[in-house]
Amino acid sequence: MPTFHLISDCLRPLHGRPLPDGLNTIRQFLLAAPLALASVFSSLFIPAAHAQSCETLRSAHGEDVISVHCGGAPSATFDHNNHLWVAFVSNKHVYVSRSEDKGTTFSTPVQVNALPEDAEFNGENRPKIIVANNGTVLLSWTTKTSNRFTGEIRFSRSTDGGRSFEQPHTVNDDGLAIGHRFDSLFLTESGKLYVTWIDKRDLEASLARSEDYPGAAIYYTVSEDLGASFMPNVRVSHNSCECCRIAVAPHGDDNIAILWRQIFGEQIRDHAIAVLSPDGMVSDLSRATIDDWQIDACPHHGPTMVPAESEGQYHMSWFSAGTIHSGIHYARYDLATASPADIIKIDGTPGAGHPSLATFNDTLYLVWKGFDGMSTPLQLMTSHDEGRSWSAPQTLISTDQASDHPLLITSPEGVFLSWSSEQHGYVFKELSND
Amino acid sequence: MTNMSLGKFAGFTAAVLLCASHVALADNTPTDNIQGFGPQTFAELKTQFAGKPFVVSLWSVDCAPCRVELDMLGQMKKADPAFPLVVISTDSIDKREDAADILDEYQLADEVTWMFADSFVERLRFSIDPGWYGELPRSYFYDAEHNMMSHSGILTIEKFKELFPY
Repeated sequence: MPTFHLISDCLRPLHGRPLPDGLNTIRQFLLAAPLALASVFSSLFIPAAHAQSCETLRSAHGEDVISVHCGGAPSATFDHNNHLWVAFVSNKHVYVSRSEDKGTTFSTPVQVNALPEDAEFNGENRPKIIVANNGTVLLSWTTKTSNRFTGEIRFSRSTDGGRSFEQPHTVNDDGLAIGHRFDSLFLTESGKLYVTWIDKRDLEASLARSEDYPGAAIYYTVSEDLGASFMPNVRVSHNSCECCRIAVAPHGDDNIAILWRQIFGEQIRDHAIAVLSPDGMVSDLSRATIDDWQIDACPHHGPTMVPAESEGQYHMSWFSAGTIHSGIHYARYDLATASPADIIKIDGTPGAGHPSLATFNDTLYLVWKGFDGMSTPLQLMTSHDEGRSWSAPQTLISTDQASDHPLLITSPEGVFLSWSSEQHGYVFKELSND
Repeated sequence: MTNMSLGKFAGFTAAVLLCASHVALADNTPTDNIQGFGPQTFAELKTQFAGKPFVVSLWSVDCAPCRVELDMLGQMKKADPAFPLVVISTDSIDKREDAADILDEYQLADEVTWMFADSFVERLRFSIDPGWYGELPRSYFYDAEHNMMSHSGILTIEKFKELFPY
């Protein structure tokens, strides 16, 4: 059994030991010389003082160090005290770490699943975390169960403020060793907890009848008691794409709207939208994008969606390589008219992808990842008129090493970038103060 | 080498003779024919195929449609062992055991194939084709002058023959 070093605070001494000289030197440099840093990083965005590479941590604390800066595919949320919580995967365990200073320092990571499981961590598949107003910490993730695209949707929670977690259980209720993957987790203001995912039970049933079944299906469940129990699984739609994250946004007090890549006809993989309610009703199901991407393949490229100012309208951004739209696009979708408006191409450069949207103080933020042949820039555009017009793109930060998809996290105080890379470690940085 | 069994020694010799493998030659030497795909690998492969046509097929362990294509390629390779085929998995080479199982299932385990061996996958994708968005399966058809045509999604045998009439 390997031993792991849990990093509680990357720039404070660990367990009372002084930091290695190198880390102290880095800290002094970062704290004392922001102007010098500004000249080092020519882009708009300067990494916060806490961000550091996993490689640095490993050289100081060993290869098996467990830290938010080394964790696989982290995701983040704020609790009602505006404390930051980050979930990530390390060595077949999901971990949770908390920050009371918006990502400058982090608490010792707490293991969620006591028994190791093959929790997926990649751009489209990551542990999700939400903290309810009463402090219950809610987590979902996908555990891969074979190399044949099978998996289970896992759920766990903490009712003691994140000190310990309940034994994870499987949310998909078909009991089949088939594909259940690409989970999303959402808690409404009214306390309805939704889990959505891509499910292959209908595909398997069709194959058993020797019938064709393009793609997979979208399923969901709801908990009315913060994850103590879930209602039976409900199908949203047949024939979804098999391999893209599902975007979720609130719809009224109790319902949610979801946006996902759907197979239209035989091979067109554009997007569909629907409204889900806690009683299992699916409504407003319609086609959300008409890109005409005819492809019988896995794009691994899911959309992003947040509510617009007008009820029933949603800001959405997505990727397509269709004949009508190619590249990252933005549109504002109106459920009442079942049509998108103000469609614009955000970035058509090959390699541009994985957009994330957020709104704060009447400003719409859109972040995505590019690639220029040598390095990966994170790009930001903003709109102050509900997506009708946009700022020029700005480069937030760039890396010439591996990096995760960027995510935007909102709190009552602002919009924040959550992003990890080999070069910079885990970066959490407010964007709404620039 | 005193601890190396005869079988492993034979495998070691074969690896050196047949493909000048870059795989570390330790006691835990993988027994598959998978090689690491780095930022320079594609350029090296094109050099190896200078003046000759060849086909590139990109796949991943997590790509269901890719299995359909691997099945077809495995049958083609079996029918014509000299078929100029380059198979590259976009998974990290850390997953080589998963990939080897699948290649074995589609009769491609005896072929030298490649797996991404650099975490900066964007650069590896770019080295193959700057215009590729990363969707899978993805195929490239090079003629003898190395004019290239690409295809995304499952290939039918008819489409394959249309794109690669050799």
